[in-house]
Amino acid sequence: MLQYAKGRPLPLWLKSGRVQTGLVIIFILAVCAIFAPYLAPNDPNEQNLLSILTPPIWADGGDAMFPLGTDSLGRCVLSRLIFGARVALTVAFSASIGAMIIGAFFAHVAGYFGGWVDWLIGRVVEIWLSFPPVILSLILMVGLGTGLRNVVLAIVLVDWTRFCRVLRSEVIVLRRRDYVSAAQLVGFSHWRTITREILPGTLPLLITLMSLEMGVAVIVEAILSFVGMSVGSETAAWGQMIADARQNIYDAPFNLIAPIFAIFFAVFGFNILGDGLRRTLDTRLTQTERT
Amino acid sequence: MRMFATIAKLLVKRVLTAIPILLIVSALLFCILRILPVDPAAMSLPPNATVQEVEAMRTEMGLNLPLYQQYGIWLNKLFHGDIGRSIHFRQDVTSLIGSTLPATIELAVIAMGVATVFGLAGGLFLFYVRGTRAEAVMDFLSILLLSLPEFLWSLFLLLIFGVFFEVLPFTGRLSPGFERPVVTGFLLLDSLITGNISTFLNALEHMILPCLALGIALSPSLMRVLRSSLLDAYQDDYIQQARLRGLSEKRILIRHGLKNAILPTLSLMGVQFGFLFGGTLLVEIIYSYPGMGNLMVDAIRNADLPIIQGAGLTYCIAVLVISIVVDSLYLILNPKLRVR
Repeated sequence: MLQYAKGRPLPLWLKSGRVQTGLVIIFILAVCAIFAPYLAPNDPNEQNLLSILTPPIWADGGDAMFPLGTDSLGRCVLSRLIFGARVALTVAFSASIGAMIIGAFFAHVAGYFGGWVDWLIGRVVEIWLSFPPVILSLILMVGLGTGLRNVVLAIVLVDWTRFCRVLRSEVIVLRRRDYVSAAQLVGFSHWRTITREILPGTLPLLITLMSLEMGVAVIVEAILSFVGMSVGSETAAWGQMIADARQNIYDAPFNLIAPIFAIFFAVFGFNILGDGLRRTLDTRLTQTERT
Repeated sequence: MRMFATIAKLLVKRVLTAIPILLIVSALLFCILRILPVDPAAMSLPPNATVQEVEAMRTEMGLNLPLYQQYGIWLNKLFHGDIGRSIHFRQDVTSLIGSTLPATIELAVIAMGVATVFGLAGGLFLFYVRGTRAEAVMDFLSILLLSLPEFLWSLFLLLIFGVFFEVLPFTGRLSPGFERPVVTGFLLLDSLITGNISTFLNALEHMILPCLALGIALSPSLMRVLRSSLLDAYQDDYIQQARLRGLSEKRILIRHGLKNAILPTLSLMGVQFGFLFGGTLLVEIIYSYPGMGNLMVDAIRNADLPIIQGAGLTYCIAVLVISIVVDSLYLILNPKLRVR
């Protein structure tokens, strides 16, 4: 950390406009998630059956108490939106870390050792890929049962192959490098060679993939909660808000727009961060391609 | 002739590798759903059944046997075309899937067409504006588009064209009052066979929004791959050669550039189309489209195991078939792979 002390220029990746945009979006979402109880005007689960499906504040009949209106049970849309960020971000971070750890582990083992280990892991990935991700995660949710922990688990179990496939080919390139052979000659153990010599080389790609995976996780969670297979109904989630709004599409179209925008905003943040990181961290891209 | 031989060889090889994959997938499906806390025996009996009755049902359904034996029995029945009976719909799973699968295939195939058209057009446009200021804008736009999955596109299009402008229908396959002709099960095909043009047009109208949503959501990744493969192809000497021969830029692009750049795009399309088939599930639910996705979600909500297993396996077969078809296409288009 001392390297970047006062007066030093920012590291290259932080200078990228895309990375900054992504970080700002994620920061806003994180603030919403962490300080949800202070930011939300109402209790997200409180039902006001006397004022159901009220329009947002700027439309006719809007109520200042519910700035973005209410849903079919009279729950405050804005408050549910803010609390929904909690589920989305929790899933995004924990699922992408989990998928990254499992995927990166198998990718490094397969790419480093090659031979039958590589063959076996390759076949397992192939079997996984013969399932459309949405279908596999739904089936897993049926088996695991609903709840935040199981949503994360299901996404990890489905998406580790994304990391495994891409990282494996990177590891194969890196393990042919001279410094890897040098490390082996010096008598480094396999574990040490992988963690000290190969991992630093795959790290940029790994970080980029993780950022993109967070976006995927937000979408998958929204899909699962839309179908009613995510967190229980007592926790506010964006997908549930969409499901509710789809039932009342003529009476309250705005209720549909709000969660769609929230999901899009979050996914866009993670995608643009990932794209910026890819451009600045990938050592093979030339200087002109980065800008 | 030689080409047919190589393609036949590939087909045999791919089908042979698909069999163990399907066996393992079916075993996984069977196990995942057996660890469920639901008791299929208790579910298939009325709620006032006694413990003895449930126990008798368990023995009858073979639920007391060890798991591998249960799987063996299930697999044996599967080979005879019997995936079991739905607990909720009280109907054979095969007939349920048979009546919903054609709708999903129609949706997926048309959406693939839409995605291909948008993907190719967008990719060519991205390539055309390379190096200009428009490229940065387009590049940014494509990330923006990548952040909108088919799930959000469906809702978005439904809101705009279905609710605000009310120009297109967005529920089901036909408007009320239309008779559904049944010949092959494929509605579009059936209405054409029976000469029902108005039914055909009505069904087509209902498919515009779902197909657009799926197609548009898939196209940005195709665009980006096509652009980068075109950029790669233009690095090669033969493009310069063609220019020296005095060919027009248009001819170079179509006959030389695109012909080589289409291959990486095609191999990505294979993977993407597999995902698209899964993506139909959500689009079907949002547009109340009576396909396999709606069947699957109904089954999940009712913990209807036989349907979940059958539909899961069908999705898996669909993905394998799509990837085999795309690989054969790849072989037809890529002469380098043909001669061994």
